Amino acid sequence: MGEQEYVVQMKGITKVYPNGVAANQGVDFNVKRGEIHALMGENGAGKSTLMKMLFGLEQPTEGEIFINGKKETLSSPTVAISKGIGMVHQHFMLVPNLTVAENMVLGMEPKQKSLFLDYKKAVEITKEYAQKYNLQVDPDAKLRDIPVGMKQKVEILKALVRGAKILILDEPTAVLTTQETEELFKELVQLKEQGYTLIFISHKLNEIKQITDRMTIMRGGKSMGVYNTADVSKEEISRLMVGRDVILTVEKEKAVPEEVVLKVRDLEYTNEWNKKMLDKISFDVRKGEILGVAGVEGNGQRELVDMLFSLNTPDGGAVTVNGASVLHKSQRAVRDLGVSLIPEDRMTFGIAGTGTIEENLMSDRVASKRYNKGPLFDMKAMHEDSDQLIVDYKVLCKSRKQQVGMLSGGNIQKVVVAREFSCNPVLIIADQPTRGIDVGATEFIRKKLVELSRAGAAVLLVSADLNEVMELSDSLIIMCNGKIAAYFEDTSKLDDTVMGEYMLGLKQQDEEEVRRVQHEA
Amino acid sequence: MKHKRKFMFEMIRGLAAIVIAIAVAFVLILLSSDSPGTALECLLIRPVFSGGSLNVKSIWAILGRMTPIIFTGLGVCVMFSANQFNLAGEGTTMLGGFIGGLIAIYIPMSAGLHPAVCILAGAVVGGLAMLIPAIIKVKLNASEMVCSLMLNYVIMYIILHFLNNTFADRSKGATQTYPFLETAKVTKLIPGTELTWGFLAALAATAVIAVFMFRTRWGYAIRMIGINESFSKYSGMKVGAVIIASQVIGGVLSGMGGAIEALGRYSTFLWKELPGYGWTGMTVAILAKNNPIMVPFAALFIAYLNRGCELMSIYAGVPSEMIDIIQAVIFLFFAAEQFMAKTRQKIVVKDAKEEMREKQLAAEGGNV
Repeated sequence: MGEQEYVVQMKGITKVYPNGVAANQGVDFNVKRGEIHALMGENGAGKSTLMKMLFGLEQPTEGEIFINGKKETLSSPTVAISKGIGMVHQHFMLVPNLTVAENMVLGMEPKQKSLFLDYKKAVEITKEYAQKYNLQVDPDAKLRDIPVGMKQKVEILKALVRGAKILILDEPTAVLTTQETEELFKELVQLKEQGYTLIFISHKLNEIKQITDRMTIMRGGKSMGVYNTADVSKEEISRLMVGRDVILTVEKEKAVPEEVVLKVRDLEYTNEWNKKMLDKISFDVRKGEILGVAGVEGNGQRELVDMLFSLNTPDGGAVTVNGASVLHKSQRAVRDLGVSLIPEDRMTFGIAGTGTIEENLMSDRVASKRYNKGPLFDMKAMHEDSDQLIVDYKVLCKSRKQQVGMLSGGNIQKVVVAREFSCNPVLIIADQPTRGIDVGATEFIRKKLVELSRAGAAVLLVSADLNEVMELSDSLIIMCNGKIAAYFEDTSKLDDTVMGEYMLGLKQQDEEEVRRVQHEA
Repeated sequence: MKHKRKFMFEMIRGLAAIVIAIAVAFVLILLSSDSPGTALECLLIRPVFSGGSLNVKSIWAILGRMTPIIFTGLGVCVMFSANQFNLAGEGTTMLGGFIGGLIAIYIPMSAGLHPAVCILAGAVVGGLAMLIPAIIKVKLNASEMVCSLMLNYVIMYIILHFLNNTFADRSKGATQTYPFLETAKVTKLIPGTELTWGFLAALAATAVIAVFMFRTRWGYAIRMIGINESFSKYSGMKVGAVIIASQVIGGVLSGMGGAIEALGRYSTFLWKELPGYGWTGMTVAILAKNNPIMVPFAALFIAYLNRGCELMSIYAGVPSEMIDIIQAVIFLFFAAEQFMAKTRQKIVVKDAKEEMREKQLAAEGGNV
């Protein structure tokens, strides 16, 4: 049978979580030695669950796992690592206050007099591995000071130092720029040539086509089959993933911008580590247009959004919505100005996980007249409107009484979007609105966003997904180091290499060009 | 169908917890009592049946004992729902009893009005006292847990100071106040028993709090803040105000319970230490999983257990320390989240599989 050919064999894997969600149902997953194997699927398809079981973070309810032909019980990551499995998490598992070298040897520190950390040795180890695998990192830099791309290299090296032969990469490109992604791909191919096996989780079709050899596609907790990457087209993959053809471009009419709604002037903010996150940011968003904010994450976008929704206070500058200042206001007051926000961190800000879908849909409007009869709730009105929103926004659920935290990522986001879009906003701030969610939900949310802007809302779209900002935005600013590096009036004429240069700080428009985004004095 | 199975599981889990707890308790009883059979009978049966007939007096006593712990239990429910681990239910109960008692002694009023005013006063001071940990929490971000725990003793010693130095009835051997005016007493629901109108008030409070928590915007805000504070702030709720309000409501309820208990059970104010209802209230709230509707049932369980243990120590000579241990064992099994978690997982898996099969059938049916 050539069993030896397979380094990983997962047979008939079923996983049921204590909350009753069957994340995997009889999945078979086989990876050949020395290949780059893609694991594809929408969010909630069960990819992460499957990989968590391979890395020992979860135990399968049923099924068997074979590593190098031998049946193994992976009861913890420590066991998985000892079997040569390494995982590079989407959200890096690194300590920001330690140096790269310290992070590398965390938990397996070389000791001096068997008690103290031998830091020199740690640096040596780091350098040795960096050289060997051609992954350049600075061993002495504090982790929080290095760019995301380097953090990822540290994560990969960390796994390699621990003897990993099989590397699981969980959406490794989600946080990288185009250039950084290219670099990563070169490194991955090198690793493959050195005999490593790579499992690559992603939803990005282009990337999968570019570097993987084979792929397993998952849908609804089941495997939809294994394919040679060269043999399937992007359209076929997309159809297998979502069970229908997804149009990945959003059709939109040309924007007819009217008066200025959001006006930001000279916004400044220095964070607690004395890093200037916002450096005299000024721009306008007009009624009826979508202004995109592109940029590598960590260049001030999060701080900007916080200021716009009054979740934080700037050191200087002004933010007004239809002439009224939002600074120092409560979120209630900001919402009353007609501002709504799709937060980047949807699990922290977007939902109350153990609350019901209904409770989550109503959170911004429970005090309104429509839902109150005297001191009591008008439950009928609430039920009616929740059910309507569930239908309108295609939230896949058993009923409005279901716990929102049990839904898949895409459906959770639909709940957030349903709430934020249905409150008649004049300004919508959409911060990474489709990050990490499935193609179907992504398409739906993008369409809605365009629809609302054309119906007269001003939209500020902050996204690290280049395709998304370029597809959706009418015009676009790029943020780099807390400044606006560039403003493009017409997004349709842009290409991503040019954008990449601005995003990485290689280029910067002059003040005159940037000032064009201020439509009012 | 699924709900039914879950419900059945919870029931069986509860029963199993009781059976195991009683088995462990029985071992302890064997070790400490000369007549273990009688002891067990006292614990389990005699609170309601004795000598082949209903032990009516004891039943009323159990219901009477539920009254204060329903109030404190409800208060803790509200505070815990908002994720506020405020432990001052104890002190505010005592304070409510003390202030209610003083009004009952010194301010004459007509019979109908008097207890109502006393109870209201108890509620108000209970609420006011809770402002201290609540405001410190919101304004200075200091732990309400530490602050409220200390507050209990501050309240207790202030009361003792005034009880000893200002309000003591010197003609009595023990430290106590002058007697309450007859008009102020919370009258018996059934004459000659421990059961007062306070019991009905407690049930009414349960209904009010249940409606408040699940059918009003304030209760909603309390619950959402308890689940996720950041989300609530982002949604536009007044997080600070609601956190303060939840603790004030907790104080109001325990203050009310304290006044009702003082005026219903005793004829003078004589608490010289924290009465213990606040702690029991936390047990009640945990058993009720912060659901106000379940509070009377949890209170019944505790009161029954209490009564049984009391009978056991009277009639079977089980020492009171052992009683505490037995109570603790029973509570431990009942409150343990992970108890029978494996069985639960099996049921969940079974359910999920059935659901998958149904879906598949539905899908196939749809295709035909």
